[in-house]
This record gives sequence, structure tokens and C-alpha cells, in this order.
Amino acid sequence: MTGLAWLVPVLPLAAYVLLLIGGRRLAEGAVTSIAVLAVAASFVISLAIMIQVALHGPQPAVTFPWLVLGSATISFGFEVTSLNAMMLVMVSFVSALVLLFSRGYMRGDARFARFYQYLSLFVFAMLGLVITSNLLEFYIFWELVGVCSYLLVGFWYFKPEAAAAAKKAFIVTRIGDVGLFVGMILLYLGFHTMNFDTIFYGQAVSSPYTMAHGAPALLFAAHALTGPGIHALPYGLAPAAFVTLTALLVFVGAVGKSAQFPLHVWLPDAMEGPTPVSALIHAATMVAAGVYLVARMFPLFQASPAASDVVAIVGGFTAILAALIGLTQHDIKRVIAYSTVSQLGYMMLALGVGAYVSGIFHLMTHAFFKALLFLTAGSVIHAVETQDLFEMGGLRKLMPLTNAAFLAGALALSGIPPFAGFWSKDEILSAAFSSGNYVLYAVGLIAAFCTAFYIFRVYFLTFGGEYKGDRHPHEGGLAMTIPLTALAVMATVAGFFNTPWAPWIANFLQDRGAVGYDPAVNWGLMVVSAVVGLAGIGLAYYAYGAPGRAQRMAQKSGFLYTLSFNKFYFDELYDRIVTRPIRAIAEALGFVDRWIIDGLVRLVSGGVYTGGAGLRYGNTGQIQTYGLVTLFGVAVLLIIAAGIGGVL
Amino acid sequence: MALQPFLALGAILFAIGAYGALTKRNLIIVLISLEMMLNAANINLVAFSHFGKTPHVAGQVFALFIIALGAAEVAVGLGILLAFFRMRNSADVKDASAMKW
Amino acid sequence: MFFGMPLTGQTVSFFLLALLIIASGVMLMTLTKVMHMAVALAGVFLGVAGIFILLGADFVGMAQILVYAGAITILMVFALMLTQKGDDTESPEASTGRSLLTLLGVVVFTGIMLLVLRGTTWPYSQSAVDPYTQPTVVLIAQSLYHTYTIPFELLSLILTAALVGSVVIARKED
Repeated sequence: MTGLAWLVPVLPLAAYVLLLIGGRRLAEGAVTSIAVLAVAASFVISLAIMIQVALHGPQPAVTFPWLVLGSATISFGFEVTSLNAMMLVMVSFVSALVLLFSRGYMRGDARFARFYQYLSLFVFAMLGLVITSNLLEFYIFWELVGVCSYLLVGFWYFKPEAAAAAKKAFIVTRIGDVGLFVGMILLYLGFHTMNFDTIFYGQAVSSPYTMAHGAPALLFAAHALTGPGIHALPYGLAPAAFVTLTALLVFVGAVGKSAQFPLHVWLPDAMEGPTPVSALIHAATMVAAGVYLVARMFPLFQASPAASDVVAIVGGFTAILAALIGLTQHDIKRVIAYSTVSQLGYMMLALGVGAYVSGIFHLMTHAFFKALLFLTAGSVIHAVETQDLFEMGGLRKLMPLTNAAFLAGALALSGIPPFAGFWSKDEILSAAFSSGNYVLYAVGLIAAFCTAFYIFRVYFLTFGGEYKGDRHPHEGGLAMTIPLTALAVMATVAGFFNTPWAPWIANFLQDRGAVGYDPAVNWGLMVVSAVVGLAGIGLAYYAYGAPGRAQRMAQKSGFLYTLSFNKFYFDELYDRIVTRPIRAIAEALGFVDRWIIDGLVRLVSGGVYTGGAGLRYGNTGQIQTYGLVTLFGVAVLLIIAAGIGGVL
Repeated sequence: MALQPFLALGAILFAIGAYGALTKRNLIIVLISLEMMLNAANINLVAFSHFGKTPHVAGQVFALFIIALGAAEVAVGLGILLAFFRMRNSADVKDASAMKW
Repeated sequence: MFFGMPLTGQTVSFFLLALLIIASGVMLMTLTKVMHMAVALAGVFLGVAGIFILLGADFVGMAQILVYAGAITILMVFALMLTQKGDDTESPEASTGRSLLTLLGVVVFTGIMLLVLRGTTWPYSQSAVDPYTQPTVVLIAQSLYHTYTIPFELLSLILTAALVGSVVIARKED
């Protein structure tokens, strides 16, 4: 089955090509069928691959040489490891449901087929990114993901905010991409190869795995520092410095893509896109790519404790920062967006403290419940046609299914047992605690409290109380309710895939040695997590259960509320320290270009033109005048010639 | 006899012709002046043919060629002049200034 | 001795012819009546023909008389008459300033030419009074039909083209 792995990304690509050619002529139902069936088939194949990997272990990469540069060969190919087998399943599952959901959400849009076309390309890019065996190929898909997010966030480009958000998303992630690119080149200079396996394990890609059982991932460290695979390090770097530097550069790329501090500003703005796009970006494709990158390069980070610490600290800081901002936002999608930033911070934190399995596990559970939250939000927005929390309310009775689905997602996000988020978040917190990072543990705990508070704030404002609008909200069609149901089920039960008693995912991922998983049950920490989540919910109920109480709380907290409401002024800060100086420089350069360089050119051309226009009037058309001038010219020449000849 | 008197005569005749070509306003007189300049050149050719270091008849042949060419030139020139006169009802050089600017 | 030259028949006739040519040329420039100008023109062409004959180029001299003194002079007279508008006088002269300027240019030019002519040593053979071994007609015929055959043929082509062209140009447009 792994031989067919290439089909997984190719099927959505085929759907994209098909829609590109015939999308305009097809009915909406046909368009949906093509895209959904393609991705669903990818899901089935992925599932089969994962089962095979679970039974027989990872398969060797299939590569073919693509670019031969002198002695170096850059090969393209795909491979199936336990990590990407799991990612394939998750991405294709969530994507298929989102694609199905879009049928109802985008009904009647003038560019319906175009939308599905972009979505298919997006899914293709993400699946390709996951399955690739080569850093360069990875980077290509990585950029393709960025382009697709640009296209989709700006899908309603006629809205100025959407166009600006699309540009912001693209440019901010590009900043991170530069770091990744430099890191990639450094790795190539160090190892003379782009293949993940050769870089990490010093092993030819084409040979079958010999490291499958019990080979420590830390091998990379020894390999990088002393091993035969490493070549002369560029710029005379010491091995340790080289590893740290490349790891940090790679992490910069992940920071951009996964919206970590300080490049987190694009993700909430990306809410201007259609809601299914938000679901896809937040759950399965775009932001997951950053976490996946760190996970894929995990041996590199393991080899550098300093880089790992940076990852953990950035992750923890992002988690608390985004959670604090999420407390006060008015836009339902923005709250969920900040929760995504926060949860991604958790994943980075996990990877940073070495809890590889927990990070991946949280990525998976998060994909389920975050897709669920976005799709329910989409369902709500579809029904009430506003995104302002304070114009909703009372939807519990009007939309019972959506209510139940959102509640499942919110409980999972808050980390209430037995929902999915509890298990994964608790594992991360436990890992932070047991690795001795007590500060990070505390930060994570506070962020968890805030998370529970803000998501239930959304819940009470949206579904509790009485409906404040003048429309008649109702459930969407089957295309909307089926994905909601499926995701709600997953958000509820996905946590049991990796409990301390039955660590299936941990076992599954351990084909290359026990990577960062401590299966010990820590009852104390579990109880603390659950209590903190419940406390957040309780506070939210206290604040929003009765009218007016929340305002009083906001007034009491004073400037803290303003700070949070204005997102800690990051956009303004970036505007001051980055955008405006650069714009000023650009304008100065533009002035130089327009008036000095262009001015010189225009001066020359204007001089020539004026001279020509003036000399034109010397052209009288009187042939005898010409002849007279010629005569004098000949006379002068004769005088000169005679003078030179010595006659005169 | 020597070469220089003939060359001097040619130069003077050429100068008279040039003066006429540049000052006269009647197109026919201009044409006549041009013919005089051609004749001055012919005098030089024939003089060199006679007094050259190795006298040769080629100079005379060239003079004949120039005479023939001069005849052709007069034919075409007078044709243009007649057409111009018919169009503008004038034979003035100053009126033939359409190709300015 | 006359201007440093021996006073022979050749010299005398040269100066007479030169006088005729220059005088006729100057008259041509100053006269205004058409018939007077025609006479002056004929004088120039005939004088030049005389110079040719003096130089031993009798065939060229005869061609000069036939073509210039005969055909072209008559043609010019006809053209002058055709383009005259009733009155017998020349069309208005150029301005005095222009005339003086042109005169200055011409005088400078000629002066330099004459100076150069005087200052240059011309290598020429003075040994033979008649430098040609055969009658010039025979020499010219041999030269034209042997050495210069192709230019000769081309010249006939040019003459034909000029004939046709002048007819086409001068023809009345319908």
C-alpha cells in the first residue's frame, strides 16, 4: 500500500486540474463531488498506509534524481514514516469534512468552482508537504501552501479587509520563510544533501531502514558532531553552533507559518477569508505545517538544547499571550483564531521540552476540535450573518445540533475530561512539569485557564441567553451537519488514542526510538489541569450568565482590558517600528529614483528634444542657404588642409 | 605652356559658377551655373590628361562621360523645372522650399 | 614673357580664351536680358571648347561645341522663354547681403585654391609637345570600347533613363 502513497497528494491535484479545466461548466454539486471524493479517496489510502505502517513499520523512501549539480544530486521523492502517515490521515480527514461543509457554506457564490479549486490545491500542497522526503521539495510545497492561503484568505478580494489580510498573511509568513530558506541552505552546505534521512541518520535514502528498531533519535547529535556524513561546516562554524543556528533558522520558518510570537499577527486577520478556509488553515493545513516542520526536524532540535529552549519559551509565551488577547475579542472567529495561536504555542512548548509525542498528539486532537469549532462558527455565521458575539445569543434552542457540536469542541479546547483536548494538553503540561520547566508549566496552566474562560465566553454569548438579532437562524443542510457530527465525535473520543494507560500513538511513533514520552500517570497534575479548566468555565458562566456583570469586570481590570482588547498593540507596534521606517526609506528611495535618477534621464532627453526643436527652425528649405553654408565649410576645410600641408 | 594656368582657369570658372548657383533666384540660371561648374571640372580633367606625369587619354574619356552626364542632368533638371513652374507658376528658387522642418 | 611664360601662340590663345570665358561668365552673372545671357552662355561654352582644343583634345572640344554650345544653350534659352511671365526682365535678385556673403565665400575659396596651385610642385612631362602617339579619336575609341566598355554602356542606360524620366516629369498631368 505504501507504494501507492504518491496517490494521496496527487488525487487532490487531479481534482484541482479537473476543476481548473471544467469547473465553470459544472454544477455546484458536481464540483463538490469531485473535490470531496478525491480527498476522501486520499483519506482512505492514508488510512490503509497508516495501518500498514502500524503493522510493518515505516517504509523506505522512493526517490528519483531531479537535479544533478556536478557531484551533488538533488532527488525528489516521497516516503512514509510513522509521523507523516499519521499526518496524512489527519489532514485528509479534516480536509474532506471541510470540503463537504463548504458545499453548504459557499452555496450560490459566484466563484464556487474556483473556491473548490483553490481548496483542492491547498490540500494537495499540504499533503505533498507531509509526504515529501526531501527538504527542498518540502520547501516548495511549503511555499505552495503559503500561496494557497493567500488566494483563499483573499478569496473575497473585493472586500478591502480581505485583500489586506491576504497580503499580510503572505508577507508575514514570507518573513519566516526566509529563515527556513537560509537554514535549508546551511544544512545543504553542511551535509551536501537535502534528504531528511541522510541529514538525520547519515543513511542513504534508497537503502532499507536498518534503524527501525530502537535507534536513538539522538544519533543525529553524534552523527552531526563526529559522524562521517557531515562535511566541512560552512563559515568555520563549530558543530554545536552550526546545529543551533540551523535549528533556530528552521524554527523561524515554523514561527511564521504557525503564527508564533512575534509573527502571530497574520492569523487573526486571516479570518477575513471564508470560514471553511479558516477551518482548513487552522486545523489541517497551513499552521499545522509549522508544527510539522519542527516535528520533522526533531532530531535537529534534540541535538541543540539551546534551540529547544527557544522553541519552548516562544511556544509558552505565545500560548499565554494569545490566550490573554482572546479574552476580550468581539468577533467570534477572532476568538477562535487566537485560541489557535495559543494552542499552537502549546505544541511548540511540547516539542521544545522534548515531548515529541505530546506535541503531535495535541496537533491531532487540536485539528479535530479546532476544525469543529470553526465549522460550528461557520454554521452560526451562516445562520445569523454576523460575526459579532454581542449580536448573537440564544442559539441553543434554535440550532441544537450546532450547539452540541460547539459544546463538544469547547470542552475539548478547555481540557475537560474526557474530551480530546484534556489528554493532549495534560500530557504537554506534564511533560513541561517533569522536564523541570516549572515556569513554563505555570504559564501553560494560566493559559489553559484563560482558554477555558474565553471559549465559554463565546459559548455563553452565542448559545446562551436570548437571540438578539432579527433573523431566523436554523441548521444548515446535510452537507453542514455531517461534518459537524463527525468532527464532534472525533473531538470527544480522539483523546483515547493516547492515554497514559494505552499510549497507542506513542507506540506508533516510536519506530525510531522512544522519543520524548513519559507514560507515567501523574494523577496530581491531571486533577490540576481539569480543575483549572473547570474554574475557567465557571468564571465565564459567572461573568456572562448574568447581564452587566462582564462590563463591571472589564471596568475593574482597567488598562489590562484595553491592552488585551487591542491585542497588546502588536499591530501598532509593528507599524511603528517596521512598516513606517521601511515605508519612509522606500519613499526616500522613490524620491531619489523619481526625481534625481529619472530627472537626469529626463534632463538629457529634454535637452536633446529642445535642441532638436530649436535646430529645426534652421532648416529653412532654402537650398541656396544650405549651399552657402557648405561653401564656407569647404573653405574652412581647405584652409585647414592647406595649413597642415604647409602650403599656406 | 604649363599645367597651372589651366587649373587656375578651372578654379576661376568654378568660382563663378558657384557664385551664380548660390545667388541667382531663377532656377534656370542656377542650372546654367551648375553646368559651368561641370565645365570647370572638365578643363581640369583634360589639362591633367595633357600635362600629367604620364599623359593619357583617359582624362578625355572622363570629360566625355561628364559631358554626357551633364546633358542628362540638364534634361531631367529642365523637366523638373517645367513641372515645378506649372505647379507654382514660378521659377524662383525661394518657392521651392516645401521640404523644410 | 607674359606672367612668367614665354609669349608663344599657344600662350596668347590661352589668355584670349581665358579672357573670353571669364568675361562671359561675369557677364552671365550680371546681365538680365535673356538673349544677352544666352550669348554669354554660348561664349563660356565655346571658350571652354577652345581650351580643350588647345590642350590637344580635339574630339572632346567638338563634343563640347555640339552638346553644350549647341544643344544645352538652345535648351536653356527655350526654358527661359517658356517660364517668362510677360515681362522681359529677370526675376528679382537675391539680397545684397547674401550676394556679398557668397562673394566673400567664393573669393576665399578661389584664393586658397590659387595659392595651393601656386605652392604645389606639379610633376608633369614637358618633353613632348604633343603627348599622344595617335590621333585622339582613335585613342578615345579604343579606350571607350576596350577599357571603359561597361561604364559606357551604363552611361547609355542613364541617358535613356534621363530621357524617359524628363518626359514623364514634364508631361502635363491630366
